Amino acid sequence: MKELLRGTWVIAAKELKIELRTKEILVTAGLFGLLVTVLTSLAFFLDDDTSRRLAPGVLWVGASFAGVLAMGRAWAREREADAIRGLLLTPIPRASIYLGKMIGTWVFVMLIDMVLLPVVAILFRVDMSAELGTVALILVLGMTGYVALGTLFAAMSVRTRARDLMISVVLFPLSSPGLLAGVVATREVLGGTPFDETVAWLRILLAFDLVGIVAGLVLFEPLMSE
Amino acid sequence: MEFDRVEVKGLVKVYGATRALIGVDATFDAGAVTVIEGPNGSGKSTLLNILGQLVRPTRGEVRYGELGVVNKGAVRGAIGILAHAAMVYPDLSARENLALYARLYGLRDPAAVLERSIARFEIGRWGERPSRTYSRGQLQRLALARALIHEPTLLLLDEPSTGLDVKGVRRLVETVAAERERGAIVALITHDPKLADELADTTVKLKRGKVVS
Repeated sequence: MKELLRGTWVIAAKELKIELRTKEILVTAGLFGLLVTVLTSLAFFLDDDTSRRLAPGVLWVGASFAGVLAMGRAWAREREADAIRGLLLTPIPRASIYLGKMIGTWVFVMLIDMVLLPVVAILFRVDMSAELGTVALILVLGMTGYVALGTLFAAMSVRTRARDLMISVVLFPLSSPGLLAGVVATREVLGGTPFDETVAWLRILLAFDLVGIVAGLVLFEPLMSE
Repeated sequence: MEFDRVEVKGLVKVYGATRALIGVDATFDAGAVTVIEGPNGSGKSTLLNILGQLVRPTRGEVRYGELGVVNKGAVRGAIGILAHAAMVYPDLSARENLALYARLYGLRDPAAVLERSIARFEIGRWGERPSRTYSRGQLQRLALARALIHEPTLLLLDEPSTGLDVKGVRRLVETVAAERERGAIVALITHDPKLADELADTTVKLKRGKVVS
């Protein structure tokens, strides 16, 4: 366990260090997420009521698309100069490579989402001040499971030619329980449903997170060994 | 040294309809360089990747001396690999890459190990720049430092001289010879007959996945 945590910390710190230096993922995935939300707001702007109804969907579309891009880029770093081969040969538990990469990507995705959230609120004229904490919590829970599963499939992309196509084609169907629960929970909260009545959705998201993380920890090693 | 011999017995590796290795037996001893020869597609890299626990054999076993047949961090931590690709992060400097690997290998006093490694491979001020800016020769020095930072018991070399100039090949030969002197088990794949002649203590010849001599 100690080795797992040590390895996870070293890998996550490496991810953050490279990103702080290059800002490659935050800029590309962040701009992509913003583009999706801005274009959608222009395309679907009808009236205030319709905008408010569209906002949860746009927020999750922007977040999930930016997330796919972030996960793909995070693993592209491992392909370059075949760094993953060197990493797999080190004595740290291989699960710690998965966890470290997942935590690093999760941080990038959360930073992007925390920008997307107010942008969606402004563009779709939704006053989220009262529900901001709850919406942020839903986003955090939904994106944690999404990144957990996405990190696993993005890792597989290191060894396949289809790469980005495979991440999207496999990840979206498998993440649909979490994404759907996230969209519906956000819609309910912004629609004025009391927090108590959204707890069931939060439980689904929590279960989605647990399944994603456990699947990643269990499947990463066999998937990375040919 | 964690083990003094690596033995492979009845190694078979099948990829779909392709049989990359068919019943390979071989022994790799400490303090010796074993050159793995053979034409393209003969299974050399597959054998090396199985030795390095990067690929699982379909059948057969690899015994790491007294440690036996294991697939654990303890064995991985005793293996170093050097190939054409440097296996480093292009956005990190040589110093940062080596510090990362020192931490990943859990080395005691990583700062001292880092300084020794930088001195041994003459990584100068250029080592402060991101490694994507390095020449092939500089990148090779970093790759050597990375592969050897933990003084591996088993050193795997997969066509390490590709793209190197005369000076780079000379440095490679001297480094491999020094590792042999230290008592490391060295397995080398090369298509360079001069390099093979200079370094080989024993040879394993592969053809279509089988050992032919």
